[in-house]
Amino acid sequence: MAGVSTKEIKNRIRSMESTKQITKAMEMVAASKLRRAQAQVANSRPYFEILRNTINDIVDNNLEFTSPFLQERTGNKVMYVVIAGDRGLAGGYNSNILKLVQSQIKEKEATVLPIGKKALDFFKSKNIPVLTENYAEAAGVSIGDCFSISKQLSKAFKDGEFDEIHVAYTNFVSVLSQTPDSMQLLPLVPDGHEKKTPSSVTLYEPGSEEVFEAIVPEYLGGILYGALCESRAAEQAARRTAMDSATSNAEEMIADLSLKFNRARQAAITNEIIDIVAGS
Amino acid sequence: MTSFPLKIVTPDGLIYDGAAEMVIVRTITGDMAFLARHINCVAPLGMGCATVVIDGNKRYAACIGGMISVTDGNVTLVPTTFEWAESIDVARAEAAKCKAEGIIHRESLTDTEYRLAHAKLDRAMVRISVASRGSWVRGNNMVDINNLGGN
Repeated sequence: MAGVSTKEIKNRIRSMESTKQITKAMEMVAASKLRRAQAQVANSRPYFEILRNTINDIVDNNLEFTSPFLQERTGNKVMYVVIAGDRGLAGGYNSNILKLVQSQIKEKEATVLPIGKKALDFFKSKNIPVLTENYAEAAGVSIGDCFSISKQLSKAFKDGEFDEIHVAYTNFVSVLSQTPDSMQLLPLVPDGHEKKTPSSVTLYEPGSEEVFEAIVPEYLGGILYGALCESRAAEQAARRTAMDSATSNAEEMIADLSLKFNRARQAAITNEIIDIVAGS
Repeated sequence: MTSFPLKIVTPDGLIYDGAAEMVIVRTITGDMAFLARHINCVAPLGMGCATVVIDGNKRYAACIGGMISVTDGNVTLVPTTFEWAESIDVARAEAAKCKAEGIIHRESLTDTEYRLAHAKLDRAMVRISVASRGSWVRGNNMVDINNLGGN
């Protein structure tokens, strides 16, 4: 009976070893991808911030015109661009962002534009209308795609198909911390601060309406691209952390099993000696 | 000449952050030049050559899409793409131009295909023309702006 259990333990140790190797390899892949994604975030952040500040300034200083992009509507039709990952095994990365979106769209008539396979699968299973399935691969979405999405969305917004457009993404705070977040893209509202009284007159070339017409799609595209970069880095960071803890869990279990194995082996030897001594 | 703070950012990163004396950009309605103490202004950019004067030296760049904004004397240029003339890959631009021309001359194109190809062609043309200017300026070892005449 002791022999059977040592064999069983040995098998379990072996399978645990191979699991550990896989998680270790995944961690290293994620770490190297994370470095690249981090560099991309560092590059795109100034653009993201300056673009947002500039738009905020324009919205604050806006006096006379009433572009459709600025008017808040009373309707209930919201559009969510949801950026999630293509694959699982990334800790809470996918579920956190999807939960956030689900809680925000609960009482609204929502349509989503999922970026990433996990987001697409989730909304399909929940029977929430999906605008397009073209961006199922988050890793393959380029800056050009961001601009074509933004053109499509701003046109749909102007035509009254949606009353609000939001983007849900994961903020890459640091390697150890990522927070799901959402941001209202349209209509443009001054976010996070009180609306100031316009300090000075701004010149719009050629005219305010045309300026907004041209700038808003660019702005959306830029913001989407920034959000995408943040999310990609956050995904890799989340995966790295998850795989790191999976590896250390496996190590712990192996240590535990080795101890059990040694005890069982010791018990078997002791039994044999007792048999020999008793038999003589 | 009086200088003003200029920031140029694209999705690929911060390209320039510092003082400049003049910026000329192609907006959707035509070229606009910005000097120090310009009134607050916002203009969307078209595609064309941008000229930045830094310490009396002219630098050229291909500048496509985005916008320029002036707030309280700070000029912020937020284009979609911005490439200094000396860093443009002319061979690639030429190849893109040939490819786009090939597509345009094909028959039975959908509207979108035609628009995309045309936009690609325009971008390639801008790059090529800017790159040729850049090499000329570099050949003169970044001569003083006053010696360049009314270019």
